[in-house]
Amino acid sequence: MAERDGLELPTGNRRFTRRSLLLAGAQAAGLSLVGWRLFGLQVLERGHYAPIAEENRINLQILAPRRGRILDVAGRPLADNEAVFRATVTPSLVKDLHDVLGRVQQILPLDDKDVADILRRAKRQRSNVPIVIATELAFDQIAKVNLFAPSLPGIATGTSWRRRYHGGDAIGHVVGFVGSVESLSVDDDAVLRLPEMKIGKTGAEAGFESELRGLGGTQKIEVDARGRIVRKLETVEPANGRDITLSIDANLQEQVLARLQRERCAAAVVLDIKSGAILVSSSAPGFDPASIAGGISIADWQKLTTAEDKPLLNRVVAGQYAPGSTFKVVTALAALEAGVVLPTERIPCPGHYDFAGEVYPCWKPDGHGELTLHDALRCACDVYFYEIARRTGIDRLASMARRLGLGTIYDFGLPDEKAGVIPDPNWKRGDLGASWLGGETLLTGIGQGYVQATPLQLALMTARIAAGRIVLPSIRKTTSPPDSDFATLSIDAAHLELVRAGMLAAVNDDGGAGRSAKRGAGRPPIAGEVGSSWIGSGRTQGDPRREGLARDHSLFVAFAPANAPRYAVATVVEHAGDGNAAAAPLARDVLNFVLDHNDRNQSGKNASGDGPAAAPHTNGTAG
Amino acid sequence: MAYYSTWNSSRPLTTMEKLWRIHWIALAMTCLIAAVGTVTLYSVSGGSFQPWAERHTLRFLIALALVIAMALVRLEVWIKLAYPVYAVALVMLALVPLVGVEALGAKRWIDVGPLSFQPSELMKFALVAALARYYLWLPEERVGRWQYVLVPLLMIAVPVLLTLKQPDLGSAIIFMALGLALLFLAGVPLRYFIVGAFLAIAALPVVWSGLHDYQRRRIEVFLDPGKDPLGSGYHITQSKIALGAGGISGKGFMQGTQSQLDFVPEKHTDFIASIIGEEWGFVGLLVLLAAYATLIAVMTAMALRTGNRFARLVIAGSTMSFFIYVFVNLAMVTGLVPVVGIPLPLVSYGGTAMMTLMVGLGLAMSGYVHGREPRRGEIGPFW
Repeated sequence: MAERDGLELPTGNRRFTRRSLLLAGAQAAGLSLVGWRLFGLQVLERGHYAPIAEENRINLQILAPRRGRILDVAGRPLADNEAVFRATVTPSLVKDLHDVLGRVQQILPLDDKDVADILRRAKRQRSNVPIVIATELAFDQIAKVNLFAPSLPGIATGTSWRRRYHGGDAIGHVVGFVGSVESLSVDDDAVLRLPEMKIGKTGAEAGFESELRGLGGTQKIEVDARGRIVRKLETVEPANGRDITLSIDANLQEQVLARLQRERCAAAVVLDIKSGAILVSSSAPGFDPASIAGGISIADWQKLTTAEDKPLLNRVVAGQYAPGSTFKVVTALAALEAGVVLPTERIPCPGHYDFAGEVYPCWKPDGHGELTLHDALRCACDVYFYEIARRTGIDRLASMARRLGLGTIYDFGLPDEKAGVIPDPNWKRGDLGASWLGGETLLTGIGQGYVQATPLQLALMTARIAAGRIVLPSIRKTTSPPDSDFATLSIDAAHLELVRAGMLAAVNDDGGAGRSAKRGAGRPPIAGEVGSSWIGSGRTQGDPRREGLARDHSLFVAFAPANAPRYAVATVVEHAGDGNAAAAPLARDVLNFVLDHNDRNQSGKNASGDGPAAAPHTNGTAG
Repeated sequence: MAYYSTWNSSRPLTTMEKLWRIHWIALAMTCLIAAVGTVTLYSVSGGSFQPWAERHTLRFLIALALVIAMALVRLEVWIKLAYPVYAVALVMLALVPLVGVEALGAKRWIDVGPLSFQPSELMKFALVAALARYYLWLPEERVGRWQYVLVPLLMIAVPVLLTLKQPDLGSAIIFMALGLALLFLAGVPLRYFIVGAFLAIAALPVVWSGLHDYQRRRIEVFLDPGKDPLGSGYHITQSKIALGAGGISGKGFMQGTQSQLDFVPEKHTDFIASIIGEEWGFVGLLVLLAAYATLIAVMTAMALRTGNRFARLVIAGSTMSFFIYVFVNLAMVTGLVPVVGIPLPLVSYGGTAMMTLMVGLGLAMSGYVHGREPRRGEIGPFW
């Protein structure tokens, strides 16, 4: 670096001076612009905004929009609004609030405690926001208030909308509920400043909040010192919220919930394979949104939030379970794609698998003998899958799981959605700070260990295998034609066919692991796979003496009809033992409801000549 | 380190001389402006020093002491610190998405023990100091070469992109405006600015698609306020009503009905100017505007009086940041530009922006004190 002689070059100095002055000129121009603008607003146009009389003021009132309804697939309202008469007071329009409320007390049933509450609220909030003083008023009460209006400054009557829910527990998790706004930021919609404004807290109410809410209107009025309106300056009408039509069917929801309630904690979800639309999403125990949105006592709310069976949890999208043997379809597809096993290869199962000095048991301690892939899927043999999982390796297993839709959220409108976990060495290093162990690959291969999935993801996985397409979930009724526009799943069609055949055998063969899901003779068969989600250490699993909360979760995934898949289902029954015991019969019943319901609809439609029955969806053409 | 030999060759300044050299008129202007803040905050809280006016005053006095303390520190210290502080600010900005605390949908804060602060604030004066440091080193004849323009451009672009990601549009705009102003003053040839302007216009569609939904909405609402009279338009409308209600001479101290009655949101922070406008009218705001203009003019004069390149660029940067805050805030309150969260300097309640501006002023003052050639037996006029 050259030593500088320290003298600034004169050109540099002059340039700095010149440019400094230029910049100062620009700054002066900027400030002048602001000054000119202020002159415009405060001097030239002051009549536009300035109140006429000195003591008058301008009040910008916010008009609340009406919230959109939530409808089921057949247009039945699940959530709508009812009008209620109410009276409000706007503190900024009243000189002596206490005095006015005293006069109101002579007309409306308002006790001293209510008055004290209103006075306290008036101190806390913005004074131009109306406070509700009485709601659910009868018509004659409203009439009286209006009659005495001249002596009641600041008091206004009107209708407001109250949220109403239809369907109770059956739709609670999907529809969700509304509640008061808890925090506000500068950017937020000003209608949220209205105290009676409710926003969606969970479910579709929250997921489609922006469409449901609508846009607030404004009314600019000038009022005198006594709160009387001098003139109305301008009114912008509110734009009501849009209705949301969901893909679920209220009747089916009710049927399925009734069936679910025979179990303690359970969940069932049914997807339309072609459109990804969720027909049924049911989680037990449920809750009635009406009882929450209508105002719930703190004690009741705490009971709901702390109950051991978690009634507020939507188990379909937020319940995370180790998928157990239902994950074996992933392991099978990953192994086939990797070419580490041939469909015809026989692998012996002696009832346990030895790896790195540890013994990994099969659920059947006597062993299954020699098995092909088809046999292994049929009887859900653990040892077979330990072996092919080891050959495949964790990275390829995890990658296949993700391609089939596990380990991610879909953000389709139910905000409680959880992602589950598809573990791999990177995940473990990042989340647990430990390196991957070989034995964990084996456990992952049979859907235990770190793997977690939601029932929705499992149904999606099944739908993708059945359709050979990247099915995506949706909870809104689609208006587009039901023809599949999902991208093709890049998995060999022959491999998918092998897995589907294994799932068919698992339900319909005599030795099948999920035979309790078998439908009666003459009805289109189901193809599925059972699973059990281990509770606690794998070492103690399968001990039939365990009871209650120590029992495994029972899982089942299926698609039906097996030859022309239309629906994919996933069921979970918590602490109910293996999949065949509880989840499989549950899934069968749920699919029976859906298929019967569908048949009824089709026959009704055909009778009225209203469109043909949907063409059977062919599979096995993918890849 | 020979870059500052010119003005460092004589005997070091004594503390008394340094104090004598401080531009007290500039500091007096800041006191005046901060006093306007105190009075307004007192009025906004209904005639009470609580909860805002007292803390505002206290914060300002602490900040003022800091400015004086910083002015006494030798310029070499700031020159040596410039790059390291810039590097630290950059690393912190990059860390925000990883370890930052999310507030109101944006991650801008980092928690350090019990304190939480915004690295983007640190970056505001770090960027100015680093650019000034760069041009202190760069020989005059190389200023116009493209390689040597690229380096400072990168120094500006990286923090701009990092803050845009947070997302913090306000800070990104400030970085850009500050950086470009410094390049301009440092003597980067005009052709670069002309080409840059064309490129910026060409890139507008790309930027638009990269904006967050809420940022896009703000701009759309600004262009067509009828679109959302209740969102960001709500603030503007209320603010305009308050300003209009004030008229020429205002309603008088503590008499502003619009503001006293809570119609104006954020009345003690970003929208404080509408309160001043209602209570003191057009005249009151004009006086405040004049106070800012005087401060800016005085500081520009300070930069022109300084021979050292680092010093004058730091002073110019500090001046520019005052201007940006004042201009953007008042333009926002009067509905000239969309709502961006930029406070009115030294008047709005809030410690972060005040600290940033005052630290910048401290740097500038140190530059002014140390960046001039000491005159023999200097006692003459101090500004």
